[in-house]
Amino acid sequence: MTIVKPVQIQVANKVFEAWDKLGVKGRAQLLAQAAEKLQGAQAGMAKWQLQNAVAEIGDKLVLQGPTGESNELSTHGRGAFLCTSALDGNNAAVGLVGAVFAALVAGNPVITVGPTGQAIMDLIANHVPNGVIQNVAESVQDSIIDDIELAGVAILCEPEQANELTQRLAQKAGLLCQLVNETDVENLGTIAAPHFILRFVTEQTITTNTTAIGGNATLLELGSSAE
Amino acid sequence: MFNALEVLQPNFIERPLNDLWRNISPLYSVDESQWLQQLLPLAEPTQGQLNASTNAATKLIEQVRKDDASMSMIDALLLEYSLDTKEGILLMCLAEALMRVPDKETADAFIKDRLSVADWASHAKNSESFFVNASTWGLMLTGKVVTMSEKQDGSPANLINRMVNRVSEPVIRQAMNQAMKIMGHQFVLGRSIKEALERGKSYRDKGYTYSFDMLGEAALTSADAQKYLDSYSQAIDSVGKDTYSKGHRPTISIKLSALHPRYEVGNEERVMTELFASVKGLIKQARALNVGITIDAEEADRLELSLKLFEKLYRDEGTQGWGLFGLVVQAYSKRCLPVLAWLAALAKEQGDRIPLRLVKGAYWDSEIKLCQQRGLNGYPVYTRKEATDVSYLACAKFLLSAHTRAHIFPQFASHNAHTIATIATMAEELGARTDEFEFQRLHGMGDALYNRLIKDKDVCVRIYAPVGSHKDLLPYLVRRLLENGANSSFVHRLVDARCPISELVGHPVMTLKGRKTLHNPNINLPKDMFSDRRNSYGPNIEIESQWFPFKEQVNAFMGPDVQWHAHPIVGGQNLTSDTIREVTSPYDRSQKVGEVQWGNKDIVDNAIEMAHGAYPRWSQTPADERAACLERFADLMEQHYAELVAICHREAGKTIQDSIDEVREAVDFCNYYALQARKNFGAPKTFTNYLGQEQQARMVGRGVFACISPWNFPLAIFAGQVVAALAAGNAVVCKAAEQTSIIAFRAVQLMHEAGIPGDVLHFLPGNGSTIGSPMTQHPLIAGLAFTGSTGTAQLINRTLASRGVGPVPVIAETGGQNAMIIDSTSLPEQVVRDAVRSAFASAGQRCSALRVMFVQEDIADRVIPMIAGAMKEQTVGLPYLHETDVGPVIDTKAQKVLLDHIEEMKSAGRLIAQTKLPEWADKGTFVAPIAFEISGIDQLKDEKFGPIMHVIRYKAKDLDKIIDTINQSGFGLTMGVHSRNESTCAHIARRARVGNLYINRDQVGAVVGVQPFGGQGLSGTGPKAGGPHYLPRFAKEQLL
Repeated sequence: MTIVKPVQIQVANKVFEAWDKLGVKGRAQLLAQAAEKLQGAQAGMAKWQLQNAVAEIGDKLVLQGPTGESNELSTHGRGAFLCTSALDGNNAAVGLVGAVFAALVAGNPVITVGPTGQAIMDLIANHVPNGVIQNVAESVQDSIIDDIELAGVAILCEPEQANELTQRLAQKAGLLCQLVNETDVENLGTIAAPHFILRFVTEQTITTNTTAIGGNATLLELGSSAE
Repeated sequence: MFNALEVLQPNFIERPLNDLWRNISPLYSVDESQWLQQLLPLAEPTQGQLNASTNAATKLIEQVRKDDASMSMIDALLLEYSLDTKEGILLMCLAEALMRVPDKETADAFIKDRLSVADWASHAKNSESFFVNASTWGLMLTGKVVTMSEKQDGSPANLINRMVNRVSEPVIRQAMNQAMKIMGHQFVLGRSIKEALERGKSYRDKGYTYSFDMLGEAALTSADAQKYLDSYSQAIDSVGKDTYSKGHRPTISIKLSALHPRYEVGNEERVMTELFASVKGLIKQARALNVGITIDAEEADRLELSLKLFEKLYRDEGTQGWGLFGLVVQAYSKRCLPVLAWLAALAKEQGDRIPLRLVKGAYWDSEIKLCQQRGLNGYPVYTRKEATDVSYLACAKFLLSAHTRAHIFPQFASHNAHTIATIATMAEELGARTDEFEFQRLHGMGDALYNRLIKDKDVCVRIYAPVGSHKDLLPYLVRRLLENGANSSFVHRLVDARCPISELVGHPVMTLKGRKTLHNPNINLPKDMFSDRRNSYGPNIEIESQWFPFKEQVNAFMGPDVQWHAHPIVGGQNLTSDTIREVTSPYDRSQKVGEVQWGNKDIVDNAIEMAHGAYPRWSQTPADERAACLERFADLMEQHYAELVAICHREAGKTIQDSIDEVREAVDFCNYYALQARKNFGAPKTFTNYLGQEQQARMVGRGVFACISPWNFPLAIFAGQVVAALAAGNAVVCKAAEQTSIIAFRAVQLMHEAGIPGDVLHFLPGNGSTIGSPMTQHPLIAGLAFTGSTGTAQLINRTLASRGVGPVPVIAETGGQNAMIIDSTSLPEQVVRDAVRSAFASAGQRCSALRVMFVQEDIADRVIPMIAGAMKEQTVGLPYLHETDVGPVIDTKAQKVLLDHIEEMKSAGRLIAQTKLPEWADKGTFVAPIAFEISGIDQLKDEKFGPIMHVIRYKAKDLDKIIDTINQSGFGLTMGVHSRNESTCAHIARRARVGNLYINRDQVGAVVGVQPFGGQGLSGTGPKAGGPHYLPRFAKEQLL
């Protein structure tokens, strides 16, 4: 049996590298324009996610190590993320905006669902490259969830729904698809917390032997400096 | 520590040689300030001596600076392109790599990469030297193009960019190669000894003589060693036939690492037989032709080995009675003085004078870096330049003393006018005639200084001159400059008229004593390398004074009478069970290590429930207290170092260095997570929330965490997972791999001893079905950390999900299909060394190990045979022996999977090489390292966790396709890149979806907190172990 990959996943995979390459600050800049179009708490949530991302993961972290090598830790998107809400109401809408902005600014292409998703996508799509945000009809959501290349699902839902979704995602082959669930829609205790952004990223360490191409300038300085 | 001043007593060198030998090794990493206190009196001048040497040095420098024409080409180049300028470094990088790049495409890209970021134009007219301007011309190519468009283009960097883009690439490449040839001509005396003798004539007419060296990379293969041996032999022959009649006869300098592929302490037996035989042959030939031989000095780790070899050669009947067999000793080594004393005693005993070149030392940066990487207890070298100078003068005083110079012929190699003047003054005072010592300098350096000295004094000056093809030698010489920062040296400042003479004639004793501390406080000891935590310690197994006592401690746990009995530990109590498994050594299944009593479902349930009960109390224990437990555990592991290393050998089959690294990593995890816990789990953090209000968030543990770890890092990964979960405030139930439960059991005992309460941490030995399954099915498990295969991670994830108790964090570190990409700018010797280590260290049983090497086709025919040659030099054997590079694989099951794959590859790929197995290998589970050439990564279905490397050739233009295929494999753990082209490295780094990328080094051995480790995609969920985001995943973030 041939499994047809949903076109949205194919599109997301295609645009992922370029989107991720922009870096947190580059993406935050683009997304800030979209956030301006939102109103009230949704605007507050979108802007906060961008600021929080810049603060938490905006810069490469230079790690202290032996002389003669450099070590840098940076974050990247995980891949296509489905962002959706099984709950209604204002807070759920605010939460969904938070999840979408967090997923995007972290470097992931995002697929939203249904009319709520469409509304968010419409605000963002003009400010980001084509395909970085897509929306699907609710009827297509299952095929997206079941795709083995989907990197994660961010969802606002009841605890039982989170349970079911966990089991469903775990049945898939391939990578361990991440479930980022918010069940506290009243307080948005997960989405509105500073470490929420970390759920959308993967990390990369780059270690360079600097003595191979350019000498050990730091040590040189230390060795010849006075006190 | 012996009393340094005693060396000045004539009878000091009459002591038994063994007694003098014993003075050497303990000084390897001796406290620098304490030892310098001993040395200073030896170098301290009287006021009269100080005046004399200062005046002599001042006069020498004044005369040198007056003589404009005497500045050598290399001096001039280094002055203009100092290595502290971007251009200087880029120029040297070009020189290091360009000539070896065979394909135009890569060469053009490399030139563009180097030229486009520097300000060459600013160097165009600064130097008077033709050589410098010729190089600059080569770099700028068409200066007029640049000048003409300067107004339009703005900054010089832009100009060069435009220039590089505008002028046709072949023209630039040709010009660059020409410039490199000019440089090569300056750095290298001749391409052959014949040419060197011819070119050297003009200097010999001035009174100089030579020591020639066929310098180059260390040999990695027997074929390369034979090639170097032949060239030394030819050199001796040519020098022997030299008919130049005036002055002193030239000698030959020999680099031992070029004559044997395994010139290492671990291979002492081979060194003392095979390398001995090679050098003995050269000595025989040289003695017959009356050509002196000097053994060059190399890294500090090899000093003791080199002395042993020297002694054996010196005492050999073929050398006895000769007096022209000498060696080099480095004054930056803390062991220098006792080495000289031992050599003097040796010479006195045998009666043959030893020519001895005293140098300051050229591997300073590398020595410091290595010690930091290995967590050694100190440095073998001084950390201040002036301390090295003090050591040099102290040693010179010993060498020039009447009782020493009768047995040793000192050869002072320096380009420092003050050092030279002081030695000349010292020699006069000590009554040494000018024919009782000589000076030495490098070809192309210090011309001005020595031209003057030769005019003024009747003393022999020998030029150390590299001989060989420019293509081979220029990279080597330039890399030494790059790696060891020559610009801080005297040479640079001597010719720099901006530097006042008074700064150049300061006596090092006065300078050093003027410092607040004798050691350099800016260069922290390896243990203090991190500003916020203690670095783990590792003994240096290459050094007798550290290795012998450590080995003895480990041996106490290696006998069959030492057995371990592991149990489940629940509530702090050892439990018994009916299922008892015997543990035997992977290298010899007849050797019993001990036994493990496995747990069962009831024990698991009981442990989880007890942990659940203990969790609230532990979670509320202040983070600082939890962190302190981790630090105490780290200390306890270092206290039990020898036992843990012995268990690593016996239970896991780990080699000595791997076992040390294992303990170090576990210690590092503890100290790093303790730091992170204090930082993130202490007081709540205040932030402004999305509504613009101030709010607090705190991190708390989640409940009972399950930790399931693999056998390949049986202590480090096991301990890392457990202490992370504990530090975050969770109670823990842990299961180690069934193959390596003993070391985990000992670790848990030590954790409890360190203060982790018995009801908070429970150890559950067993296999997947007896322990893993009930553990992951239990509804109270609030999170899980797992390291192992991708398939098992999926199974565990499903089991956890099926409990129906809601999603919990699963932190999984899984497999990889790790690649290394090598382009044609890379240095083959470095590539081969790094590839062999990455693929075969730990028998390839590292998650990070290299599986697929992509080598650019233009250099494949050079690199692949070198890999084959280097693989033949690997030793597979008993892991507790120093000589062993590769130990066993973990068990029969693992061995079978690997052997099946090897069989498959034998028909699907082309065999490159296979290392030999010992005859007794079937006593254990060994797999010989093997490499195959294959056509594409798609020939590999999944990861093979063992010493099997696959090699694929690629075309330079297909680099992006290669990255795509690697990305498409879905795995993303480690990748290595070897390229001198920084743009290429940056491009790969941007595109490769891997967790850890290593540039121009090996791709294994990630250090906690320095190289956070973990993959993406099929290789794991993250966050990275040993990174700043790891602990938060073990916790809940609560908004208050």
